[in-house]
Amino acid sequence: MTVYVAIEQAGKTFPLSGGKEYIALKGIDLEIGKGEFISLIGHSGCGKSTLLNLIAGLDGVTEGVVTLEGQYIRKPSPDRMVVFQNYSLLPWLTVHDNVALAVDEVLGKLPTKEREDLIKHYIHMVGLDHALDKLPGQLSGGMKQRVAIARALAVRPKLLLLDEPFGALDALTRGNLQEKLVSICESTQTTAVMVTHDVDEAVFMSDRIVMLTNGPASNIGGILTVDIPRPRHRLEVIKHPSYYTLRSEILYFLNQQKRVKKMRARKVAVVARHGLEKVNLELGFVPLTACAPLAIAKEKGFFEKHGLDEVNLVRETSWRGIADGLQNGYLDGAQMPSGMPMWLTLGGLGKNLPTVTALTMTRNGNAITLSRNLYDKGVYSLADFARYLKETPEKHRMGVVHPASMHNLLLRYWLASGGIDPDRDVELKIIPPAQMVVDLKAGSIDGFCVGEPWNFRAAYEGVGFTVATDREIWDGHPGKVLGVREDWASAYPNTHIALVKAILEACVYCSDPANASEITHLLAQKEYVGTKREYIQIGGPELNSCDLTTPMREYAHHQFFGTNVNRPSRTEHLWQAAQMARWGDVPFPRNWVEVAEKVCQVGVFSTAAREIGLSEITYGKGAIQMFDGASFSAENPIEYLQNLQIERNFTLAEIP
Amino acid sequence: MVVTTRNNGSSNGLTKFWHRNGRYIVPPIAGFLVFLTIWQMLYSIGAIKLPGPIDILSDRNSQILILYPFYDRGGLDKGLFWQTFESFQRVMIGYTCAAIVGIGMGIWVGTTPMINRALDPLFQFLRTVPPLAWVPISLAALQQNEPAALFVIFITAVWPILINTTVGVQQIPQDYQNVARVLQLSRKKYFFKILFPSALPYIFTGLRIAIGLAWLAIIAAEIVMSGIVGIGFFIWDAYTNGNVNEVIISLVYIGAVGLMLDKFMAWLQTKLLPNN
Repeated sequence: MTVYVAIEQAGKTFPLSGGKEYIALKGIDLEIGKGEFISLIGHSGCGKSTLLNLIAGLDGVTEGVVTLEGQYIRKPSPDRMVVFQNYSLLPWLTVHDNVALAVDEVLGKLPTKEREDLIKHYIHMVGLDHALDKLPGQLSGGMKQRVAIARALAVRPKLLLLDEPFGALDALTRGNLQEKLVSICESTQTTAVMVTHDVDEAVFMSDRIVMLTNGPASNIGGILTVDIPRPRHRLEVIKHPSYYTLRSEILYFLNQQKRVKKMRARKVAVVARHGLEKVNLELGFVPLTACAPLAIAKEKGFFEKHGLDEVNLVRETSWRGIADGLQNGYLDGAQMPSGMPMWLTLGGLGKNLPTVTALTMTRNGNAITLSRNLYDKGVYSLADFARYLKETPEKHRMGVVHPASMHNLLLRYWLASGGIDPDRDVELKIIPPAQMVVDLKAGSIDGFCVGEPWNFRAAYEGVGFTVATDREIWDGHPGKVLGVREDWASAYPNTHIALVKAILEACVYCSDPANASEITHLLAQKEYVGTKREYIQIGGPELNSCDLTTPMREYAHHQFFGTNVNRPSRTEHLWQAAQMARWGDVPFPRNWVEVAEKVCQVGVFSTAAREIGLSEITYGKGAIQMFDGASFSAENPIEYLQNLQIERNFTLAEIP
Repeated sequence: MVVTTRNNGSSNGLTKFWHRNGRYIVPPIAGFLVFLTIWQMLYSIGAIKLPGPIDILSDRNSQILILYPFYDRGGLDKGLFWQTFESFQRVMIGYTCAAIVGIGMGIWVGTTPMINRALDPLFQFLRTVPPLAWVPISLAALQQNEPAALFVIFITAVWPILINTTVGVQQIPQDYQNVARVLQLSRKKYFFKILFPSALPYIFTGLRIAIGLAWLAIIAAEIVMSGIVGIGFFIWDAYTNGNVNEVIISLVYIGAVGLMLDKFMAWLQTKLLPNN
């Protein structure tokens, strides 16, 4: 794809009265290929029309450059015809004369006859031959917009710019016109940029969808490529497997932006009380048995006990929601997979978001489940699975919940130790925890690694079996941690300690077998996990592995509190950093000693534990022993990485 | 049979017409008659010194004026039609000048923000000066009755045209401007295809206000400027000779012309601007 339109570090600032200024756009980078159809989507006021105006030349950039075929765009030109939302037809000219005005002016060098043919051709193309001599006032909205499209196309522009072209039309007309425009653009190979706020319109019409974040200083939040083949027809497009994925991806993004906006609009951002810097906290969690400490801290009043009067638990459906919430600042802290603080710090989101943890909330509680189908074919172990993969050439998929989650790292480690390359021999898909069992049932994945209660549930419903528990792979591995942004932790140090105290006390409460039934009851409720009580197991199991014939029955293994449980461990976080680097997800920090020191806020944990009288608990410091006999110590992780058999070439980077 | 049907039809048609339009015809006529009656009564009981309608109509002089509007005995002694026509001509000349200057200046001022800033306060100031106040100035400046009268018409009529045109040009919707910018329309095309049609409703509003003002101004101007043929001076002359009857009859002419001018402009507006 050759670059046709290039936008580099473009920004637009509008002066406001009183000498202030409003930064509408900042740092926009976008390249558009010839013949591409691009949609700009975002909430109102996100600057998508401003961006279109920059390309049109109706507005000038205040920084950066916009070019078309290497030429700077400084002023409007008929090369870049614009179709405006409110049609912008001249009401005193007929349909024919409106189009003729454009054609005569732009293509004035052509002979009259040719121009006349051109005008007629494009009016015919939009199906308005019968309205040739009508004034715009006599036309419906849809017809007016068709005239505007004809006028734009008739001058044969290099680039067609559409500013919410169908925004003012009723749904039926809009659908017909979208279809019309798609077929025109496909047949004329027009390069187009369209501003829209309609998700379906964007997916249906575009090759790529550019999602803009909220203003001020809007930016490109993400670009989606629409892999639906052309020519497209509405009824076929919605049946394409990518359609709903793309749609939900955009909706997720827009929803994120809405929450950011809501947070910014909040009247009181910070409520300080009881000597704490902030007592109004939004804490994110994902519905899993492992969210018990947060649920208990909330329900049993541990937050209030430590002065955090206004804690709100926010239920997110995926870990991605947690990461975005932390990044966008509408979550103060969250339950997160133990690898996530390191992953965010090392740039898992595309940029470094220094994140720290001062408390490990749970250990264990995960398992690897394979589908019932494989069990029936005699796959009972890792070796069986490796053999099975070699024998069946088709692609096998497995589900994990997040790149930074222990599930992903454990599953990869487990597969790799059995000689299976987790990227080449199987395909790992990111699926929200609550959706795993459904996918397994539907056969779209062959197995997964996830936290409880979902392994248990798969076994219970007979759609899968537990091939390995995490206790077999690494007994006592960190499960979920409390993560907060580093800047948050340094802005609210006392709040951070109070938060750790409250959740640590909740962990102690959860670890008491006497409370198990109460916790089970609580977690089963809709605002937490929302599942049947039978699926939630709290108590400790007798065995490290479970019986293959009745997998997972009576088996659960969360550790909430105890020796070696709650204090964050640098060795563990470095192991995770090493694993994530091993699979090429993030670079390994060259300054790993410093990074591990920062991510693991041992000091905060120690203070919190001491203040609630738990200082006698001991914590070991040894190397990590894995099931395959390998060990990992924090002495020399880079050498460890170099000695691995299966790995993607890892990179090293200095982490600020 | 046929005849009966036709009769039925026509009487039906008349009934229908009456039924439909009666309520629009009767009240104005009734109002007019009541007005004349009250006037006559006030005169009869001696409350006002003006002659009543009956006296005016029975007066010999008045009858000549009413029945022979076209007589011309040379000099200033002409029928009311000629008097009105002279004034009307003056208005048309002054008004045409005002329209040309007003629209021209209005477009210039409207398209040039700097000029607008410079001249707007001056315009706002000058437009509040009453027409009569211009009379001594124009007489002093031009020394002659005829051009002075024309100038008064001009200066009275020009402001509403100018100011409305300016606003109309400034109010051209951004959409049309954007279309012009994207198409890179030439100045000439921009003027004729976008600027002028877009500002036309505003210009018309200005023209319509101005014609009323111009007609008001001519009467005032002629009253002051002696020795010219025109309905204004005719009134003044009649008054100084104590002919109140003549004054009142002239008023009817003035009112009728004013009304007709306004209606004509309204009609023209609907013809030229079918959208509004």
